Amino acid sequence: MSVTEKSVAILNASAPLSNANAKDSLDVALIFGSYEQTISLYFQADGVYQLIAEQQPELIQQKDFLKTFAALEFYDIENIYVCHHSLNQRGLAEKFSIENVQVLNQDDFAISLYQHQTILRF
Amino acid sequence: MITEVFFIISIVLVNVGHLVKNIAFVITTPPNSNLTATAINIVTSALAMNMSVVGVFFYQDGVLNGSQHVALPNDEYQAHQQWQLLHHKYNIPLHLCATAAEKRGLSDDINDKQTTNVHEAFILSGLGELVELNVKADRLVQL
Repeated sequence: MSVTEKSVAILNASAPLSNANAKDSLDVALIFGSYEQTISLYFQADGVYQLIAEQQPELIQQKDFLKTFAALEFYDIENIYVCHHSLNQRGLAEKFSIENVQVLNQDDFAISLYQHQTILRF
Repeated sequence: MITEVFFIISIVLVNVGHLVKNIAFVITTPPNSNLTATAINIVTSALAMNMSVVGVFFYQDGVLNGSQHVALPNDEYQAHQQWQLLHHKYNIPLHLCATAAEKRGLSDDINDKQTTNVHEAFILSGLGELVELNVKADRLVQL
């Protein structure tokens, strides 16, 4: 495989509003997307909260960067995976703010993630 | 300690399945974190194994390594100076994410470029540089 075909995965494991990880991660994803790199997003542990619909960050003085997730499809970022086990642990329904999210069991999530040549974690 | 670091690098090599010639790093921890000391040990080991370090990209709190004004107590590990040394000795490009840097008070155009508080060993770059490093390197390692 040539280096130009390297695929990138970003593993998101932080809650959306307690620190800047989610926002910093999304910025990286959009840049890789705009450079037409193959990129997939993975959400695990508290990271699954990032995709939950109807959040109101402005109530705690935060800018609503979560609505930027809706722009992912315009950057051709279409591989978005969520860990089913993490949702279950937190009692969260599969009610996401964007479409085309694939919920995977732990094994499939791990197997899919390790297909990538580069993994960044936030 | 160095043996342990070589072990970590070896794992990186085995995972790739072929020889890593070019390697790039993403650093997200500040100079006062011991995680940064570990990162520097890994970079140093990669160089000792004759890998070419094509660049280091500092993101999030990692950009604080590029400040001119870091002053750690004399008897503590001087992480910021180690980066400067690596740059001067091996000519490794040290990229600070410009947006992350500005959020943390680091800029090279204070008073319309009359002054800077970024150390001369570092350069302010866009996130696009991270994409470039990922393409250039056989392996991109985030620390």
